[in-house]
Amino acid sequence: MDTLLEILNLHFLLRNALYGGLVIGAVAPLVGVYLLARRMVFIGIALPQVSTAGVAGAFVWHTFFHGHPSRDVNDFVIALVGSSVLTFAVILVLALLERRRRGLLEGRIAMLYAVAGAATILLLASDRVTEIGILSLLKGEIIAIPDIELVILLLGYGAIMALLTIFHKELVLVTVDREMAVSLGKHVLVWDLLLFAVIGVTISLGVLVVGPLVMFGFLIVPPMIAGRLVMGMRTVSIVAALVGAGIALIGFAAAYRLDWPTGPTDVALAGVVLAVVTAGQALRTFSLRSA
Amino acid sequence: MADALISFHDVALGYDGVPVLEGLALDVHRGDFLALVGPNGCGKSTILKGMAGILEPLRGSIRRGSGEKPVRFGYVPQGETIEMVFPLTVFQVALMGTYGRIGPGWPVTHADHARVRACLDDVGMADLQRKPFPSLSGGQRQRVLIARALATEPDILLLDEPLSGIDVQAAQVIMDLIERLHRERRLTMVMVSHHLKALREHEAVREVVWVYEGKLLRGPATTMLSPEMVYRMMDAEIG
Repeated sequence: MDTLLEILNLHFLLRNALYGGLVIGAVAPLVGVYLLARRMVFIGIALPQVSTAGVAGAFVWHTFFHGHPSRDVNDFVIALVGSSVLTFAVILVLALLERRRRGLLEGRIAMLYAVAGAATILLLASDRVTEIGILSLLKGEIIAIPDIELVILLLGYGAIMALLTIFHKELVLVTVDREMAVSLGKHVLVWDLLLFAVIGVTISLGVLVVGPLVMFGFLIVPPMIAGRLVMGMRTVSIVAALVGAGIALIGFAAAYRLDWPTGPTDVALAGVVLAVVTAGQALRTFSLRSA
Repeated sequence: MADALISFHDVALGYDGVPVLEGLALDVHRGDFLALVGPNGCGKSTILKGMAGILEPLRGSIRRGSGEKPVRFGYVPQGETIEMVFPLTVFQVALMGTYGRIGPGWPVTHADHARVRACLDDVGMADLQRKPFPSLSGGQRQRVLIARALATEPDILLLDEPLSGIDVQAAQVIMDLIERLHRERRLTMVMVSHHLKALREHEAVREVVWVYEGKLLRGPATTMLSPEMVYRMMDAEIG
Protein backbone atom coordinates (compact mmCIF):
# COMPACT_ATOMS: atom_id res chain seq x y z
CA MET A 1 0.00 0.00 0.00
CA ASP A 2 2.87 2.33 0.88
CA THR A 3 4.40 1.67 -2.54
CA LEU A 4 1.11 2.48 -4.23
CA LEU A 5 0.81 5.75 -2.32
CA GLU A 6 4.43 6.58 -3.12
CA ILE A 7 4.08 6.05 -6.89
CA LEU A 8 0.77 7.94 -7.00
CA ASN A 9 2.42 11.00 -5.41
CA LEU A 10 2.44 13.88 -7.91
CA HIS A 11 6.14 14.48 -7.21
CA PHE A 12 7.14 10.84 -7.72
CA LEU A 13 10.35 10.79 -9.77
CA LEU A 14 9.19 8.15 -12.30
CA ARG A 15 5.66 9.52 -12.59
CA ASN A 16 5.86 9.92 -16.39
CA ALA A 17 6.70 6.23 -16.78
CA LEU A 18 3.68 5.37 -14.62
CA TYR A 19 1.38 7.71 -16.57
CA GLY A 20 2.68 6.39 -19.90
CA GLY A 21 2.08 2.80 -18.81
CA LEU A 22 -1.42 3.67 -17.57
CA VAL A 23 -2.36 5.36 -20.85
CA ILE A 24 -1.10 2.42 -22.92
CA GLY A 25 -2.67 -0.06 -20.50
CA ALA A 26 -6.05 1.64 -20.92
CA VAL A 27 -6.05 2.39 -24.66
CA ALA A 28 -4.19 -0.56 -26.25
CA PRO A 29 -6.87 -3.08 -25.14
CA LEU A 30 -9.52 -0.99 -26.94
CA VAL A 31 -7.65 -1.69 -30.19
CA GLY A 32 -6.87 -5.27 -29.15
CA VAL A 33 -10.61 -6.01 -28.89
CA TYR A 34 -10.84 -5.52 -32.68
CA LEU A 35 -7.72 -7.60 -33.34
CA LEU A 36 -9.28 -10.49 -31.42
CA ALA A 37 -12.77 -10.00 -32.87
CA ARG A 38 -11.33 -10.10 -36.40
CA ARG A 39 -9.09 -13.05 -35.56
CA MET A 40 -6.00 -10.97 -36.35
CA VAL A 41 -4.10 -11.75 -33.15
CA PHE A 42 -0.90 -12.57 -35.02
CA ILE A 43 -0.87 -9.05 -36.45
CA GLY A 44 -0.77 -7.88 -32.83
CA ILE A 45 2.52 -9.71 -32.30
CA ALA A 46 4.06 -9.09 -35.74
CA LEU A 47 3.43 -5.34 -36.00
CA PRO A 48 5.18 -4.37 -32.74
CA GLN A 49 8.17 -6.37 -34.02
CA VAL A 50 8.00 -4.53 -37.35
CA SER A 51 7.71 -1.25 -35.48
CA THR A 52 10.85 -2.08 -33.47
CA ALA A 53 12.70 -2.91 -36.69
CA GLY A 54 11.60 0.51 -37.98
CA VAL A 55 13.03 2.19 -34.87
CA ALA A 56 16.33 0.31 -35.25
CA GLY A 57 16.47 1.09 -38.98
CA ALA A 58 15.82 4.80 -38.40
CA PHE A 59 18.58 5.05 -35.76
CA VAL A 60 21.12 3.16 -37.88
CA TRP A 61 20.22 5.28 -40.92
CA HIS A 62 20.62 8.47 -38.86
CA THR A 63 23.93 7.32 -37.40
CA PHE A 64 25.24 6.39 -40.84
CA PHE A 65 24.45 9.76 -42.42
CA HIS A 66 24.47 12.22 -39.51
CA GLY A 67 26.32 10.60 -36.59
CA HIS A 68 24.61 9.48 -33.36
CA PRO A 69 21.43 11.32 -32.47
CA SER A 70 21.48 13.34 -29.28
CA ARG A 71 19.52 11.85 -26.37
CA ASP A 72 16.73 14.42 -26.55
CA VAL A 73 13.56 15.08 -28.49
CA ASN A 74 15.35 14.25 -31.80
CA ASP A 75 15.85 10.76 -30.46
CA PHE A 76 12.10 10.27 -30.04
CA VAL A 77 11.22 11.91 -33.35
CA ILE A 78 13.65 9.69 -35.30
CA ALA A 79 12.28 6.61 -33.56
CA LEU A 80 8.68 7.71 -34.17
CA VAL A 81 9.32 8.32 -37.88
CA GLY A 82 11.05 4.94 -38.31
CA SER A 83 8.38 3.11 -36.35
CA SER A 84 5.44 4.80 -38.10
CA VAL A 85 6.78 4.59 -41.67
CA LEU A 86 7.55 0.88 -41.52
CA THR A 87 4.39 -0.03 -39.56
CA PHE A 88 2.08 1.86 -41.95
CA ALA A 89 3.86 0.51 -45.05
CA VAL A 90 3.42 -3.07 -43.79
CA ILE A 91 -0.23 -2.49 -42.82
CA LEU A 92 -0.94 -1.09 -46.28
CA VAL A 93 0.68 -4.04 -48.06
CA LEU A 94 -1.10 -6.57 -45.80
CA ALA A 95 -4.46 -4.83 -46.36
CA LEU A 96 -3.97 -4.83 -50.15
CA LEU A 97 -2.96 -8.50 -50.22
CA GLU A 98 -5.86 -9.40 -47.93
CA ARG A 99 -8.30 -7.55 -50.18
CA ARG A 100 -7.00 -9.40 -53.23
CA ARG A 101 -7.17 -12.63 -51.20
CA ARG A 102 -3.69 -13.62 -52.34
CA GLY A 103 -1.87 -16.32 -50.35
CA LEU A 104 -2.20 -17.35 -46.72
CA LEU A 105 -2.50 -14.42 -44.30
CA GLU A 106 -1.12 -16.32 -41.29
CA GLY A 107 1.92 -17.39 -43.32
CA ARG A 108 2.65 -13.82 -44.37
CA ILE A 109 2.36 -12.54 -40.80
CA ALA A 110 4.58 -15.29 -39.41
CA MET A 111 7.17 -14.55 -42.08
CA LEU A 112 6.90 -10.85 -41.25
CA TYR A 113 7.49 -11.51 -37.55
CA ALA A 114 10.59 -13.61 -38.23
CA VAL A 115 12.07 -11.21 -40.81
CA ALA A 116 11.39 -8.12 -38.66
CA GLY A 117 13.02 -9.78 -35.64
CA ALA A 118 16.06 -10.82 -37.66
CA ALA A 119 16.35 -7.37 -39.27
CA THR A 120 16.27 -5.69 -35.85
CA ILE A 121 19.10 -7.89 -34.55
CA LEU A 122 21.18 -7.41 -37.71
CA LEU A 123 20.70 -3.64 -37.67
CA LEU A 124 21.70 -3.49 -34.01
CA ALA A 125 24.79 -5.60 -34.63
CA SER A 126 26.09 -2.84 -36.88
CA ASP A 127 25.68 -0.04 -34.32
CA ARG A 128 26.66 -0.43 -30.64
CA VAL A 129 25.09 2.83 -29.38
CA THR A 130 21.74 2.11 -31.00
CA GLU A 131 21.89 -1.44 -29.65
CA ILE A 132 21.88 -0.26 -26.02
CA GLY A 133 18.79 1.92 -26.52
CA ILE A 134 16.86 -0.72 -28.45
CA LEU A 135 17.76 -3.49 -26.01
CA SER A 136 16.09 -1.61 -23.17
CA LEU A 137 13.07 -1.21 -25.46
CA LEU A 138 13.04 -4.94 -26.17
CA LYS A 139 13.28 -5.69 -22.44
CA GLY A 140 10.36 -3.36 -21.76
CA GLU A 141 12.18 -1.18 -19.23
CA ILE A 142 9.78 1.70 -18.78
CA ILE A 143 11.82 4.06 -16.64
CA ALA A 144 12.15 7.60 -17.90
CA ILE A 145 9.69 9.20 -20.31
CA PRO A 146 10.36 12.89 -21.09
CA ASP A 147 7.39 15.26 -20.78
CA ILE A 148 7.22 15.85 -24.54
CA GLU A 149 6.99 12.11 -25.25
CA LEU A 150 4.21 11.77 -22.70
CA VAL A 151 2.35 14.67 -24.33
CA ILE A 152 2.68 13.09 -27.81
CA LEU A 153 1.49 9.76 -26.37
CA LEU A 154 -1.48 11.42 -24.67
CA LEU A 155 -2.46 13.28 -27.85
CA GLY A 156 -2.09 10.22 -30.08
CA TYR A 157 -3.90 7.84 -27.75
CA GLY A 158 -6.53 10.48 -26.95
CA ALA A 159 -7.29 10.71 -30.68
CA ILE A 160 -7.47 6.92 -30.93
CA MET A 161 -9.88 6.72 -28.01
CA ALA A 162 -12.05 9.44 -29.55
CA LEU A 163 -12.14 7.71 -32.96
CA LEU A 164 -12.99 4.32 -31.43
CA THR A 165 -15.78 5.89 -29.36
CA ILE A 166 -17.28 8.03 -32.14
CA PHE A 167 -17.21 5.32 -34.81
CA HIS A 168 -17.91 2.38 -32.51
CA LYS A 169 -21.05 1.22 -34.30
CA GLU A 170 -19.48 1.36 -37.78
CA LEU A 171 -16.36 -0.53 -36.65
CA VAL A 172 -18.45 -3.16 -34.83
CA LEU A 173 -20.68 -3.63 -37.87
CA VAL A 174 -17.81 -4.20 -40.33
CA THR A 175 -16.11 -6.46 -37.78
CA VAL A 176 -19.10 -8.66 -36.89
CA ASP A 177 -20.96 -8.82 -40.21
CA ARG A 178 -19.23 -7.35 -43.28
CA GLU A 179 -21.95 -8.54 -45.68
CA MET A 180 -24.62 -6.79 -43.65
CA ALA A 181 -22.48 -3.63 -43.64
CA VAL A 182 -22.22 -3.71 -47.45
CA SER A 183 -25.95 -4.34 -47.85
CA LEU A 184 -26.57 -1.25 -45.68
CA GLY A 185 -24.42 0.83 -48.04
CA LYS A 186 -21.44 1.20 -45.69
CA HIS A 187 -18.02 1.75 -47.29
CA VAL A 188 -16.30 -1.22 -45.74
CA LEU A 189 -12.88 -0.36 -47.21
CA VAL A 190 -12.94 3.12 -45.62
CA TRP A 191 -13.76 1.66 -42.19
CA ASP A 192 -11.10 -1.02 -42.62
CA LEU A 193 -8.52 1.64 -43.45
CA LEU A 194 -9.55 3.71 -40.43
CA LEU A 195 -9.18 0.69 -38.18
CA PHE A 196 -5.79 -0.21 -39.68
CA ALA A 197 -4.63 3.41 -39.22
CA VAL A 198 -5.72 3.26 -35.57
CA ILE A 199 -3.85 -0.03 -35.12
CA GLY A 200 -0.76 1.48 -36.77
CA VAL A 201 -0.70 4.60 -34.58
CA THR A 202 -1.38 2.59 -31.43
CA ILE A 203 1.46 0.19 -32.08
CA SER A 204 4.07 2.59 -33.47
CA LEU A 205 3.59 5.04 -30.58
CA GLY A 206 3.20 2.39 -27.89
CA VAL A 207 6.27 0.41 -28.91
CA LEU A 208 8.44 3.51 -28.41
CA VAL A 209 7.34 3.78 -24.80
CA VAL A 210 6.92 0.19 -23.59
CA GLY A 211 8.56 -2.00 -26.27
CA PRO A 212 7.11 -4.78 -28.46
CA LEU A 213 6.56 -7.44 -25.76
CA VAL A 214 4.52 -5.23 -23.46
CA MET A 215 2.64 -3.70 -26.39
CA PHE A 216 1.51 -7.14 -27.53
CA GLY A 217 0.62 -8.06 -23.95
CA PHE A 218 -1.59 -5.01 -23.47
CA LEU A 219 -3.22 -5.43 -26.89
CA ILE A 220 -4.30 -9.01 -26.34
CA VAL A 221 -4.46 -10.13 -22.70
CA PRO A 222 -6.87 -7.53 -21.18
CA PRO A 223 -9.51 -8.11 -23.92
CA MET A 224 -9.17 -11.87 -23.34
CA ILE A 225 -9.79 -11.33 -19.61
CA ALA A 226 -12.72 -8.98 -20.29
CA GLY A 227 -14.23 -11.40 -22.83
CA ARG A 228 -14.46 -14.01 -20.06
CA LEU A 229 -16.23 -11.61 -17.71
CA VAL A 230 -18.75 -9.62 -19.78
CA MET A 231 -20.64 -9.61 -23.09
CA GLY A 232 -20.86 -7.26 -26.08
CA MET A 233 -18.12 -5.29 -27.85
CA ARG A 234 -18.69 -2.02 -25.95
CA THR A 235 -18.80 -3.63 -22.51
CA VAL A 236 -15.80 -5.84 -23.31
CA SER A 237 -13.90 -2.73 -24.48
CA ILE A 238 -14.66 -0.77 -21.30
CA VAL A 239 -13.79 -3.66 -18.98
CA ALA A 240 -10.62 -4.44 -21.01
CA ALA A 241 -9.49 -0.80 -20.67
CA LEU A 242 -10.08 -0.88 -16.91
CA VAL A 243 -8.28 -4.23 -16.57
CA GLY A 244 -5.35 -2.93 -18.69
CA ALA A 245 -5.02 0.24 -16.61
CA GLY A 246 -5.27 -1.78 -13.39
CA ILE A 247 -2.55 -4.17 -14.53
CA ALA A 248 -0.34 -1.21 -15.56
CA LEU A 249 -0.76 0.38 -12.11
CA ILE A 250 -0.26 -2.74 -9.99
CA GLY A 251 2.48 -4.04 -12.31
CA PHE A 252 4.36 -0.75 -11.99
CA ALA A 253 4.03 -0.81 -8.18
CA ALA A 254 5.24 -4.42 -8.02
CA ALA A 255 8.16 -3.77 -10.38
CA TYR A 256 9.16 -0.66 -8.38
CA ARG A 257 9.00 -2.51 -5.09
CA LEU A 258 10.81 -5.65 -6.29
CA ASP A 259 13.20 -3.80 -8.59
CA TRP A 260 12.05 -5.77 -11.63
CA PRO A 261 11.72 -4.47 -15.19
CA THR A 262 8.24 -2.92 -15.49
CA GLY A 263 7.15 -4.34 -18.87
CA PRO A 264 7.70 -8.04 -18.19
CA THR A 265 6.14 -7.56 -14.71
CA ASP A 266 3.00 -6.12 -16.36
CA VAL A 267 2.76 -8.99 -18.85
CA ALA A 268 3.37 -11.66 -16.19
CA LEU A 269 0.72 -10.07 -13.97
CA ALA A 270 -1.72 -9.99 -16.91
CA GLY A 271 -1.04 -13.69 -17.47
CA VAL A 272 -1.73 -14.46 -13.79
CA VAL A 273 -5.00 -12.50 -13.87
CA LEU A 274 -6.07 -14.34 -17.05
CA ALA A 275 -5.26 -17.71 -15.44
CA VAL A 276 -7.21 -16.83 -12.27
CA VAL A 277 -10.25 -15.62 -14.25
CA THR A 278 -10.17 -18.73 -16.48
CA ALA A 279 -9.88 -21.01 -13.45
CA GLY A 280 -12.74 -19.17 -11.72
CA GLN A 281 -14.87 -19.55 -14.83
CA ALA A 282 -14.12 -23.27 -15.08
CA LEU A 283 -14.95 -23.72 -11.40
CA ARG A 284 -18.24 -21.87 -11.84
CA THR A 285 -19.20 -24.00 -14.87
CA PHE A 286 -18.29 -27.16 -12.93
CA SER A 287 -20.37 -26.15 -9.89
CA LEU A 288 -23.34 -25.21 -12.11
CA ARG A 289 -23.19 -28.60 -13.83
CA SER A 290 -22.92 -30.41 -10.51
CA ALA A 291 -25.89 -28.55 -9.01
CA MET B 1 -40.41 -2.68 -66.20
CA ALA B 2 -40.25 0.75 -64.63
CA ASP B 3 -41.46 -0.23 -61.15
CA ALA B 4 -38.98 -3.07 -60.66
CA LEU B 5 -37.19 -2.85 -57.31
CA ILE B 6 -34.28 -4.89 -58.70
CA SER B 7 -33.39 -5.47 -62.35
CA PHE B 8 -30.60 -7.73 -63.61
CA HIS B 9 -29.47 -6.93 -67.18
CA ASP B 10 -27.21 -9.55 -68.74
CA VAL B 11 -25.40 -9.95 -65.41
CA ALA B 12 -22.36 -12.12 -64.73
CA LEU B 13 -21.67 -12.85 -61.06
CA GLY B 14 -18.74 -14.67 -59.54
CA TYR B 15 -15.78 -14.59 -57.19
CA ASP B 16 -12.21 -13.38 -57.72
CA GLY B 17 -13.04 -12.38 -61.29
CA VAL B 18 -14.25 -15.89 -62.21
CA PRO B 19 -17.94 -15.94 -63.23
CA VAL B 20 -20.22 -18.51 -61.60
CA LEU B 21 -23.35 -17.34 -63.41
CA GLU B 22 -23.59 -15.43 -66.70
CA GLY B 23 -26.23 -13.71 -68.81
CA LEU B 24 -28.68 -13.34 -65.91
CA ALA B 25 -31.88 -11.39 -66.52
CA LEU B 26 -34.28 -11.08 -63.60
CA ASP B 27 -36.74 -8.49 -62.27
CA VAL B 28 -38.13 -8.27 -58.76
CA HIS B 29 -41.20 -6.06 -58.37
CA ARG B 30 -42.71 -4.44 -55.33
CA GLY B 31 -44.92 -6.95 -53.52
CA ASP B 32 -43.33 -10.04 -55.08
CA PHE B 33 -42.63 -13.14 -53.05
CA LEU B 34 -39.96 -14.97 -54.99
CA ALA B 35 -38.21 -18.19 -54.02
CA LEU B 36 -34.84 -19.09 -55.54
CA VAL B 37 -34.42 -22.86 -55.58
CA GLY B 38 -31.96 -25.30 -57.09
CA PRO B 39 -29.30 -27.86 -56.30
CA ASN B 40 -26.44 -27.16 -53.88
CA GLY B 41 -23.77 -24.88 -55.31
CA CYS B 42 -25.88 -23.74 -58.25
CA GLY B 43 -25.49 -20.06 -57.33
CA LYS B 44 -28.71 -19.21 -55.47
CA SER B 45 -26.94 -17.34 -52.67
CA THR B 46 -24.67 -15.66 -55.24
CA ILE B 47 -27.73 -14.14 -56.93
CA LEU B 48 -29.05 -12.97 -53.55
CA LYS B 49 -25.69 -11.33 -52.76
CA GLY B 50 -25.80 -9.64 -56.15
CA MET B 51 -29.24 -8.24 -55.31
CA ALA B 52 -28.03 -6.94 -51.93
CA GLY B 53 -24.95 -5.29 -53.46
CA ILE B 54 -22.60 -7.59 -51.54
CA LEU B 55 -21.30 -8.90 -54.88
CA GLU B 56 -20.80 -6.44 -57.71
CA PRO B 57 -21.50 -7.83 -61.21
CA LEU B 58 -18.46 -8.86 -63.25
CA ARG B 59 -20.42 -7.89 -66.38
CA GLY B 60 -23.79 -6.32 -67.08
CA SER B 61 -25.70 -4.16 -64.64
CA ILE B 62 -27.94 -4.48 -61.61
CA ARG B 63 -30.39 -1.62 -61.11
CA ARG B 64 -31.72 -1.19 -57.61
CA GLY B 65 -34.81 1.03 -57.40
CA SER B 66 -36.40 3.09 -60.12
CA GLY B 67 -36.47 6.62 -58.72
CA GLU B 68 -34.36 8.93 -56.60
CA LYS B 69 -35.01 7.02 -53.39
CA PRO B 70 -32.56 4.13 -52.94
CA VAL B 71 -33.98 0.71 -52.16
CA ARG B 72 -33.48 -0.38 -48.57
CA PHE B 73 -32.46 -4.01 -48.18
CA GLY B 74 -33.08 -6.19 -45.18
CA TYR B 75 -30.48 -8.92 -45.65
CA VAL B 76 -30.88 -12.10 -43.61
CA PRO B 77 -27.75 -14.27 -43.85
CA GLN B 78 -27.55 -17.89 -42.81
CA GLY B 79 -27.53 -18.02 -39.00
CA GLU B 80 -24.31 -19.99 -38.69
CA THR B 81 -22.32 -17.51 -40.82
CA ILE B 82 -22.20 -15.00 -37.97
CA GLU B 83 -19.40 -15.98 -35.64
CA MET B 84 -18.57 -13.84 -32.66
CA VAL B 85 -15.40 -13.85 -30.60
CA PHE B 86 -17.09 -11.46 -28.17
CA PRO B 87 -20.75 -12.55 -28.11
CA LEU B 88 -23.34 -9.83 -28.59
CA THR B 89 -26.74 -10.00 -26.95
CA VAL B 90 -29.86 -10.60 -29.02
CA PHE B 91 -30.75 -6.90 -28.69
CA GLN B 92 -27.28 -5.76 -29.79
CA VAL B 93 -27.48 -7.96 -32.89
CA ALA B 94 -30.91 -6.61 -33.82
CA LEU B 95 -29.74 -3.05 -33.15
CA MET B 96 -27.20 -3.38 -35.98
CA GLY B 97 -30.15 -3.13 -38.37
CA THR B 98 -30.55 0.55 -37.49
CA TYR B 99 -26.93 1.45 -38.33
CA GLY B 100 -27.66 1.93 -42.03
CA ARG B 101 -30.00 4.85 -41.34
CA ILE B 102 -27.76 6.56 -38.79
CA GLY B 103 -24.88 8.65 -40.13
CA PRO B 104 -21.27 7.81 -39.17
CA GLY B 105 -20.49 9.06 -35.70
CA TRP B 106 -24.12 9.75 -34.76
CA PRO B 107 -25.43 7.94 -31.71
CA VAL B 108 -28.28 5.43 -31.68
CA THR B 109 -31.37 7.17 -30.26
CA HIS B 110 -34.06 6.00 -27.85
CA ALA B 111 -36.44 5.87 -30.83
CA ASP B 112 -34.08 3.40 -32.55
CA HIS B 113 -34.02 1.28 -29.39
CA ALA B 114 -37.81 1.30 -29.27
CA ARG B 115 -38.01 0.33 -32.95
CA VAL B 116 -35.65 -2.60 -32.40
CA ARG B 117 -37.68 -3.77 -29.40
CA ALA B 118 -40.82 -3.66 -31.57
CA CYS B 119 -39.07 -5.70 -34.29
CA LEU B 120 -37.96 -8.30 -31.73
CA ASP B 121 -41.50 -8.39 -30.39
CA ASP B 122 -42.80 -8.89 -33.93
CA VAL B 123 -40.71 -12.04 -34.36
CA GLY B 124 -41.43 -13.30 -30.85
CA MET B 125 -37.92 -12.75 -29.47
CA ALA B 126 -38.47 -9.79 -27.13
CA ASP B 127 -38.26 -11.99 -24.01
CA LEU B 128 -34.80 -13.22 -24.98
CA GLN B 129 -33.27 -9.84 -25.83
CA ARG B 130 -30.64 -10.01 -23.08
CA LYS B 131 -29.49 -13.54 -24.02
CA PRO B 132 -26.17 -14.05 -25.80
CA PHE B 133 -26.87 -14.52 -29.52
CA PRO B 134 -24.59 -17.59 -29.88
CA SER B 135 -26.52 -19.39 -27.11
CA LEU B 136 -29.72 -19.43 -29.19
CA SER B 137 -31.04 -22.35 -31.23
CA GLY B 138 -30.88 -22.21 -35.05
CA GLY B 139 -34.53 -21.19 -35.37
CA GLN B 140 -34.23 -18.49 -32.70
CA ARG B 141 -31.13 -17.09 -34.41
CA GLN B 142 -33.02 -16.83 -37.69
CA ARG B 143 -35.83 -14.94 -35.99
CA VAL B 144 -33.34 -12.48 -34.48
CA LEU B 145 -31.69 -11.97 -37.88
CA ILE B 146 -35.13 -11.33 -39.40
CA ALA B 147 -35.77 -8.76 -36.64
CA ARG B 148 -32.43 -7.14 -37.47
CA ALA B 149 -33.40 -6.99 -41.14
CA LEU B 150 -36.79 -5.47 -40.19
CA ALA B 151 -34.98 -2.80 -38.14
CA THR B 152 -33.48 -1.48 -41.40
CA GLU B 153 -37.08 -0.54 -42.38
CA PRO B 154 -36.58 -2.38 -45.65
CA ASP B 155 -38.38 -2.22 -48.98
CA ILE B 156 -37.30 -5.77 -49.65
CA LEU B 157 -36.26 -8.68 -47.46
CA LEU B 158 -33.53 -10.95 -48.85
CA LEU B 159 -33.38 -14.26 -46.97
CA ASP B 160 -30.51 -16.69 -47.52
CA GLU B 161 -31.56 -20.25 -46.58
CA PRO B 162 -33.58 -19.22 -43.52
CA LEU B 163 -34.68 -22.83 -42.99
CA SER B 164 -31.28 -24.50 -43.16
CA GLY B 165 -29.95 -26.27 -40.07
CA ILE B 166 -33.23 -26.11 -38.12
CA ASP B 167 -35.82 -28.75 -37.27
CA VAL B 168 -39.18 -29.12 -39.03
CA GLN B 169 -41.18 -27.36 -36.31
CA ALA B 170 -38.81 -24.39 -36.18
CA ALA B 171 -38.90 -24.23 -39.99
CA GLN B 172 -42.68 -24.06 -39.86
CA VAL B 173 -42.52 -21.19 -37.35
CA ILE B 174 -40.04 -19.28 -39.55
CA MET B 175 -42.11 -19.80 -42.71
CA ASP B 176 -45.29 -18.67 -40.93
CA LEU B 177 -43.44 -15.60 -39.69
CA ILE B 178 -42.10 -14.75 -43.16
CA GLU B 179 -45.56 -15.21 -44.65
CA ARG B 180 -47.14 -12.97 -42.00
CA LEU B 181 -44.54 -10.23 -42.52
CA HIS B 182 -45.18 -10.34 -46.27
CA ARG B 183 -48.92 -10.08 -45.73
CA GLU B 184 -49.05 -7.51 -42.91
CA ARG B 185 -46.13 -5.27 -43.90
CA ARG B 186 -46.54 -5.78 -47.66
CA LEU B 187 -42.84 -6.57 -47.76
CA THR B 188 -41.26 -7.74 -50.99
CA MET B 189 -39.52 -11.05 -50.33
CA VAL B 190 -36.77 -12.93 -52.10
CA MET B 191 -35.85 -16.17 -50.40
CA VAL B 192 -33.24 -18.79 -51.15
CA SER B 193 -34.25 -22.26 -50.03
CA HIS B 194 -33.99 -25.91 -50.86
CA HIS B 195 -36.91 -26.83 -48.59
CA LEU B 196 -39.38 -27.32 -51.43
CA LYS B 197 -42.06 -28.87 -49.22
CA ALA B 198 -42.12 -25.83 -46.93
CA LEU B 199 -42.38 -23.51 -49.93
CA ARG B 200 -45.18 -25.56 -51.45
CA GLU B 201 -47.19 -25.38 -48.21
CA HIS B 202 -47.18 -21.58 -48.09
CA GLU B 203 -49.44 -19.76 -50.50
CA ALA B 204 -47.58 -16.48 -50.14
CA VAL B 205 -44.75 -17.94 -52.23
CA ARG B 206 -46.22 -16.99 -55.58
CA GLU B 207 -43.24 -17.32 -57.89
CA VAL B 208 -40.28 -19.65 -58.01
CA VAL B 209 -37.01 -19.33 -59.91
CA TRP B 210 -35.09 -22.54 -60.54
CA VAL B 211 -31.36 -21.90 -60.79
CA TYR B 212 -29.85 -24.72 -62.78
CA GLU B 213 -26.59 -24.90 -64.76
CA GLY B 214 -26.34 -21.14 -64.88
CA LYS B 215 -29.87 -20.65 -66.23
CA LEU B 216 -32.93 -19.18 -64.55
CA LEU B 217 -36.36 -20.76 -65.02
CA ARG B 218 -39.13 -18.61 -63.58
CA GLY B 219 -42.79 -19.41 -63.16
CA PRO B 220 -45.74 -19.65 -60.78
CA ALA B 221 -45.04 -21.65 -57.64
CA THR B 222 -47.78 -24.16 -58.43
CA THR B 223 -46.07 -25.10 -61.69
CA MET B 224 -42.45 -24.75 -60.65
CA LEU B 225 -42.88 -26.76 -57.45
CA SER B 226 -45.08 -29.43 -59.01
CA PRO B 227 -43.78 -32.99 -58.55
CA GLU B 228 -43.19 -33.29 -62.32
CA MET B 229 -41.00 -30.18 -62.39
CA VAL B 230 -39.09 -31.20 -59.28
CA TYR B 231 -38.47 -34.73 -60.68
CA ARG B 232 -37.29 -33.17 -63.94
CA MET B 233 -34.81 -30.95 -62.15
CA MET B 234 -33.62 -33.64 -59.77
CA ASP B 235 -33.30 -36.21 -62.54
CA ALA B 236 -31.20 -33.76 -64.47
CA GLU B 237 -29.04 -33.19 -61.40
CA ILE B 238 -28.51 -36.89 -60.73
CA GLY B 239 -27.67 -37.43 -64.32
